[in-house]
Amino acid sequence: MKFFKKYIKVITVCDEYGSLTPVYIIWHNGEKYKIDRILEVRKAASKVGGCGILYRCRIGKNERNLFYEINRWFIESTTP
Amino acid sequence: MENKSRTILHIDINHCYAQIEEMLCPPLREVPMAVGGDESQRHGIILAKNIKAKPYGILTGEPIRSALKKCPELQIVQANMQNYLYYTSKIKEIYHEYTDRVEDFGLDEAWLDVSDSLNVFGDGLTIAQEIQRRVLHEYGLTVSIGVSFNKVFAKLGSDYKKPNAITEITKDNFQDFAWSMPVDDLLMVGRSTAKKLALMNIKTIGDLANSSVTTLKNKLGKMGVLIWSYANGMETSEVTLETFELPPKSIGNSWTTPKDITNTSEAKIVLERLSNSVACRLREKQLMGKVITLSVRDTNLHRFTHQRKVEVALDTCNEILSIIMELLGESYDFVLPIRSIGVHVSGLVKTNTHYQLSLFEDTIAKAKSRKVEIVLEDIRQKYGFYSVSQASALVDKNLSHVDPKGSHTTHPVGFLKGSL
Repeated sequence: MKFFKKYIKVITVCDEYGSLTPVYIIWHNGEKYKIDRILEVRKAASKVGGCGILYRCRIGKNERNLFYEINRWFIESTTP
Repeated sequence: MENKSRTILHIDINHCYAQIEEMLCPPLREVPMAVGGDESQRHGIILAKNIKAKPYGILTGEPIRSALKKCPELQIVQANMQNYLYYTSKIKEIYHEYTDRVEDFGLDEAWLDVSDSLNVFGDGLTIAQEIQRRVLHEYGLTVSIGVSFNKVFAKLGSDYKKPNAITEITKDNFQDFAWSMPVDDLLMVGRSTAKKLALMNIKTIGDLANSSVTTLKNKLGKMGVLIWSYANGMETSEVTLETFELPPKSIGNSWTTPKDITNTSEAKIVLERLSNSVACRLREKQLMGKVITLSVRDTNLHRFTHQRKVEVALDTCNEILSIIMELLGESYDFVLPIRSIGVHVSGLVKTNTHYQLSLFEDTIAKAKSRKVEIVLEDIRQKYGFYSVSQASALVDKNLSHVDPKGSHTTHPVGFLKGSL
């Protein structure tokens, strides 16, 4: 499957120790998707270019890689 | 200390700028690509190239136009220094997890002394493999690593095989390994030393190691002894601690202006900015200088320097600028316009609150003007560099719109860090 790099809006929770947890992603058409579960958090390079902190997430039935790159979020998207 | 066996790694991020661009935009890996300076600002040279661009014979440092002649389909990516600084510093954070002895050699290279970490992380080769794997997984970049018992052979090892390689040079195998290599692969043997050595029929590192040290000393001076000891694996310099900062020998700024400088008043606008930056940096480091140097490169790329020594060390923009303007008046007639210009201050001494006053100058006015400059710098720090400017800066914004201090980057220091 081909993936594309898409910068997106993310609603996050920043806890009292400064750690970020993404809760919702907001798609370009304004649609909001809940992140049901975060499966893994680690530093990683992305196959679509760029690197940062990888949050491997379960959104509904799908598993997606969400990256926090310096100061913004991108997702490895299946649609361009 | 010298008898203790050491384990030194030299890590080199392969074609660093180009690889960071490829990591950020993977399709660039498939085409010949080079990172270049900004042509509109006349910084149009190749800074790095990727593997696909190598067969075309493109050289780092050559003008973009000549590179495009060699390879018309070459994709030029504009350099983004901030990105390179960010990612290289992040990668160096990984190095710091393995030892506190990390010595930078430019943005993309570093030496690590892991001798004291062996009990924790395993032997040199294991640490090298671990670092290589982490840099690739976490930042998507490949590094070449040399593992050896001193800095010179560690560097030789990392240069030996690229990209994404690890080369170990041990005390047992360095003769077989390094002695057959050409002599100019050795650190500190540049083009001119290699030429001199060739005249002495020294072509490989082995030739150098087996030649007479007395002859080398006669021909090359102290440098001859030094490179002979390198070739014989006797280099023992320490990898400096991360907190160690070498006192500077000179402080300077130069700038290739976006348009040529054709007369003294234009030059003054630029020199005011450069002198100001140099003065600020001197004061930040609590230093004053006695030797003021002007460097000029004309549009034919001829470069010359002109310098003057003053009796009382100084650190203010006004004083530096007035000397620099005198130097310019004495040495340049603007037959050819100036392409780049620089101000350097050396002969540095620590700023001392007590110093010999001169009988022949107005020291009160001097102290006042110094205070004004400090206030100006405070304003700039608080509200941004362009919040306050000299009126002369408004005459030509092309020439004055530069923040040499803010955009200053420290370039690789020499390996020897000072005199022999």
